[in-house]
Amino acid sequence: MEFTVQDKGHYTEVAANGRLNMVAAPKLRKVVDEVVNGGGKRIVVNLADTSFMDSSGLGALIGCLKLARQSGGDLRIAAVQPQVTMVLELTSMNRVLTPHATAGEAFGND
Amino acid sequence: MTDILARRTLEEPAAEQAIEDLHVLLEQLWLDAAFVPAPDQMAFTTAVIEAASNVVQHGVPTEGATLLLGVELTVAVERLRAVISEIGAAPLDPVPDLAGPSDLPGPDDDALLEDYDESGRGLSMIRALVTTVTVEREGDTNVWVLSRDSGQG
Repeated sequence: MEFTVQDKGHYTEVAANGRLNMVAAPKLRKVVDEVVNGGGKRIVVNLADTSFMDSSGLGALIGCLKLARQSGGDLRIAAVQPQVTMVLELTSMNRVLTPHATAGEAFGND
Repeated sequence: MTDILARRTLEEPAAEQAIEDLHVLLEQLWLDAAFVPAPDQMAFTTAVIEAASNVVQHGVPTEGATLLLGVELTVAVERLRAVISEIGAAPLDPVPDLAGPSDLPGPDDDALLEDYDESGRGLSMIRALVTTVTVEREGDTNVWVLSRDSGQG
């Protein structure tokens, strides 16, 4: 899995390309940790090109959300594909990680 | 005897590469079994990867042994089946509770976030995604069998 970080002005986008499984999960934590340590407060994880996520990947997203909130920021997810939607709904984690249609809409007018 | 319409197998050291290889194997399986409805493919794939990841992350080899991951995937008209073997593994202790009701979903949102337990969640997901799941000890191997009915197959 590859991660691309882009400063979009009022938020930082982390695009995740590939499968968010036990192999990729630690990498996502590291990438988001670097964004937070670099002062990033609003983070959007763009999942448009994430074809698969398991409980390890979900655990990484949850860990990143906690990290962002502990630093006074927030993390949101966007462009979620069907398998990832299934995992979010199955675990009820869509209640704390609400999918947004696009990365640009994730923080809207906040 | 149910006719097997597609079959794939894998056996290699229980390491991260095995999980990546298993993803590819599942993609190949669905090319051969495109008649299986997409939601069934998705659910079965997720359960298989969860179970195999559990072996890689938590499997304990017996003394002097190399822990191997064995996977056999079969597709019949209305049944998807995975046999996931933890070869050269110590017996599971404790044996996971596979009979009880799934503990999904969780309580209020704050508790949901704070109490997220990755390994426990993986097992709950497997139970929710397949029709039956069993684990048995055979020689030096823990054998997980996942089966999902594929209704519209």
